[in-house]
Amino acid sequence: MRHILAALVLVAGMLGTQSAEAATVLITGSNRGLGFEFAKQYAEAGWNVIATCRSPDQADELKALATKHNNISIERLDVLNEGEIAALAQKYKGKPIDVLINNAGILGDVPTQTFGSVDRANFDRIMDTNVYGAISVTEAFRDNVVASDEKKIVALTSLMGSIAATGPSHTFYRASKAALSMSMRVINGHLRRDGVVVGLVAPCVADTDMLKEFGYEGPMTVSAETAVTGMRNVIANLTQETAAKPINCDGKPFEW
Amino acid sequence: MKNVLALIAMMMAFTSMEAAHAATVLITGANRGLGLEFARLYADRGWDVIATCRTPSEAGDLDALKAQHSKVVIEELDVTDQSEIDSLAVKYKDRPIDLLINNAGILGDLGDQSLGSFNHEEFKRVMDTNVYGALAVTQAFKDNVIASEHKKIIAMTSVAGSLVGPWQNLGGLYYYRASKSALNNVMRAVGIDLKKHGVVVGLVAPGAAGTDMLREDFKYKGPMISPAESVAGMVKAIDGFTQASASHPINYDGEVLDW
Repeated sequence: MRHILAALVLVAGMLGTQSAEAATVLITGSNRGLGFEFAKQYAEAGWNVIATCRSPDQADELKALATKHNNISIERLDVLNEGEIAALAQKYKGKPIDVLINNAGILGDVPTQTFGSVDRANFDRIMDTNVYGAISVTEAFRDNVVASDEKKIVALTSLMGSIAATGPSHTFYRASKAALSMSMRVINGHLRRDGVVVGLVAPCVADTDMLKEFGYEGPMTVSAETAVTGMRNVIANLTQETAAKPINCDGKPFEW
Repeated sequence: MKNVLALIAMMMAFTSMEAAHAATVLITGANRGLGLEFARLYADRGWDVIATCRTPSEAGDLDALKAQHSKVVIEELDVTDQSEIDSLAVKYKDRPIDLLINNAGILGDLGDQSLGSFNHEEFKRVMDTNVYGALAVTQAFKDNVIASEHKKIIAMTSVAGSLVGPWQNLGGLYYYRASKSALNNVMRAVGIDLKKHGVVVGLVAPGAAGTDMLREDFKYKGPMISPAESVAGMVKAIDGFTQASASHPINYDGEVLDW
């Protein structure tokens, strides 16, 4: 009898520990590329994953992944749709979110962001998606992050978004990443009093569809899997000190 | 007769010398604040000043400046209106512009750029004006600058647009600050692009200049310098700009700012 009680206490203790340790991550744009890889790796690591994307109906890979892992919830979220953001925030109201990953982003049309033939509609679409989308999702879920254990918010940037290393191509994409960096730093300044750390992480030169759409023909230095493993490691070690600069997937900080 | 000819020759030489020295500056947002001070300073130097603003009919201070200086021309230009940009570029086609100062910019509504009350339309307005506006104007007049002697393009940034430093722990002003980081990136990229033509693209910051934007829009209560002092400092930086020195933003007091 004593043994049975002891065993029950032990089991109850383990259950308690497990639920305390099952952290939650919310990822935007998780139907493909790096977002998908983030969902996969966090799910495999035992995290609760809220995997959002614009069109769950067409997210076949993500749906297949969710049938293998019952800790993945797929949610519809267009980061430019304020109604969808508000509805999702309402649904998860009061639920702690340990890590919020603002991954959704677009490259945009390339010719109309080249100096000499720029177009404002393309500028607006890239800025809206890559910057406003990220800050409005962060605004909507900041209380969930504040209520969590890990209290981390990250956004995906790129070495191409470094002002110090900028170049005369993909002007709006680069400018959007500079604006995103600043926006996230301002959010950090605002939320650090609540113990939240906001960081910018970059995927090195990872083999994704987006990079191919860039017309990039150089060597892919890492696979999407390696890039995400590296960025998860960066996120796990993120502090106010390390977050003072953007950090690449290999753990190396680079200039703004 | 010989004397008359010599006199004519001398006069012609003077005229051509003067023509070679009369540089041209185009300034956006020249009706008030720093833009107006830039217009005044370059007019005092004897430059041809193309002073643009959204509503010339309401630009009383600029009218007064024009009354004192015959070389000031006032032109209507809303930097978010592509057709106005295009018409002005057609009007000044082939006219060398030595210095283009992208000064027009807005702070944006403060409430709409606070975490918890973000507003998408205001975000777009600030980005379109401060970033796309400067880029579109630069694109439209780049050939004028390339054809000039001085070949300089400037945009107005801010210490608040720097990603390093004491401003980092301050919440608020999201869109304005993001727009300045984006502008920094865009202008630097344009500078790399136009380097082959000998054009120098630089960023200058005005410090806490006591303009309407700082006093009324931002409700700033700290110590301020006068707009004239700020502009004098920035013009000194512009005068000295080379490809090398324009690699980082420069504050009105000469301090080199981080990105």
